Amino acid sequence: MFGAFPSGSVVKNTTHKVVVPFYLYASLSFLVSTVLLLLSTEAFTQHYFHPHILALTHGMALGWGTMIILGASHQLVPVLIEKSLHSVKLAHASFWLAAIGIPLLVYGFFVFNMGWPAKWGGRFVLLSVICYFINLCISISKSKSKNVHAYFVLAATAWLLLTVFYGLSLVYNFTYNFMPKSSVAYLPIHAHTGVIGWFLLLIVGVGSRLIPLFLISKYKNDRLLWIIFFLINAGLISFVLIFLFAPGNSLFMLPVIAVLLGLMLFAVYCYKCYKHRIRKQVDEQVKISLLSVLMMLIPLIFLVSITGLLFSNDINGRMALIYGFIIFFGWITAIILGMTFKTLPFIIWNKVYHDKAGLGKTPNPKDLFKSKIFSLMVVTYLGGFVLFITAATLSNVLLLNIAAIILIVTAVLYNMNVFTVVNHKAKML
Amino acid sequence: MNVVTNNNIKCTIALAALENVIDPEIGLNIVDLGLVYQLDFDEEGKKIFLSMTLTTQFCPMGESITAAAKRALETTFDGEEVILNLTFDPPWNYERISDEGKKFLNY
Repeated sequence: MFGAFPSGSVVKNTTHKVVVPFYLYASLSFLVSTVLLLLSTEAFTQHYFHPHILALTHGMALGWGTMIILGASHQLVPVLIEKSLHSVKLAHASFWLAAIGIPLLVYGFFVFNMGWPAKWGGRFVLLSVICYFINLCISISKSKSKNVHAYFVLAATAWLLLTVFYGLSLVYNFTYNFMPKSSVAYLPIHAHTGVIGWFLLLIVGVGSRLIPLFLISKYKNDRLLWIIFFLINAGLISFVLIFLFAPGNSLFMLPVIAVLLGLMLFAVYCYKCYKHRIRKQVDEQVKISLLSVLMMLIPLIFLVSITGLLFSNDINGRMALIYGFIIFFGWITAIILGMTFKTLPFIIWNKVYHDKAGLGKTPNPKDLFKSKIFSLMVVTYLGGFVLFITAATLSNVLLLNIAAIILIVTAVLYNMNVFTVVNHKAKML
Repeated sequence: MNVVTNNNIKCTIALAALENVIDPEIGLNIVDLGLVYQLDFDEEGKKIFLSMTLTTQFCPMGESITAAAKRALETTFDGEEVILNLTFDPPWNYERISDEGKKFLNY
């Protein structure tokens, strides 16, 4: 009966029991991080190597960014590789190890205790990433579909593993001094393997799959994505090598240009997806995610300036602080604020309506969260973000405090909507 | 919509049932989206053969959409077994969207 149409198969989704805890943990981490931001505003008028800044950066990078991305990855990887996730147990282990390790690490940095809190925190986080990496490698090795998006995720996770291992080594170096220089000197490698290797590669890899999916775009260009993959990886590898073996060299501009070029090509890719979309009406969540693509370019312009200043020895700590703030509270937060309400409602919709769809009219996933709260969240976020950068540039503590309070409001609104989605009960329309 | 069938009357009833199955991301039903390729009916064996696709092979909602399509037919044709064949050959493309669907998407 099916002679005319050969069979395909549908990918089995990862259970919500694996994915939702990552989202909830990340939401609460975002709230805690904004409170930490308020407690650390004084530090924003000083050098970036400050215990509160280290705690805040790790709260944002691990508790917020990494946890939500790990959660979304457990859901999306099976879709990207067309194969179910290898092990649910490893996914749970990955969550619990990170959930225990991150607060220990953040606490260790906040009180600047490089003894057991930071060391055990780092060990737990490393074990968590190892669990995820093993799960990912086995899942991909079992898959017949090896597409460019899967390679982005794999490479990003390898960079994450390296970043965490290197970060833990830096913590040990505080106690044992086994590296030629102090740990502070190596922070740029740790920061950039994390930001570019982990966050950027993963966001480009997954975003290049999701953006056309959400826009229902006709545009497809794997060749362009492979060029972006090469540029970012080559840029990052050369950055690490130049940093370690030829520091202070003008060659530093080469990796910056490679990554900048990769990002510009990704912006072109997103624009073409947008231009060739079938669905003309673009929802707010996708708009803010597309905005974050433009926001990626801002820290890179900062990086070009900072790299330029390296040679004139005129670099100041505040500029590096603003650069870090734009990365974590700008680019990464913008994409997460948008993508949370594209992915989480689907996960919950699947859980709640899986047995009811087809029997009558059900709400759409976008109806699972409150759009007014979402809009208010976007307004407070953009206002707080711009005000904070202005205040940090002016070194005005009062304005920094006001901006931090606005960002706490953003985090509260975000949490309200996340908990609304997670607690959604079935209703037929 | 170009649905291949061996029974036009039953196919019309089945398509009406399948209009209740919405692609939750797009908000459009799978019939107007052009996801349904073939509907054949085996009267003696009390079987319905549904051949359908998804907008993309990577569709995260694929499991839900196919389960809903099967459930919609089983509810409408009580006592008949629904055999679903998911295919990506030929792959879905936007030209399969009905005029009503295109209007819905402002395309």
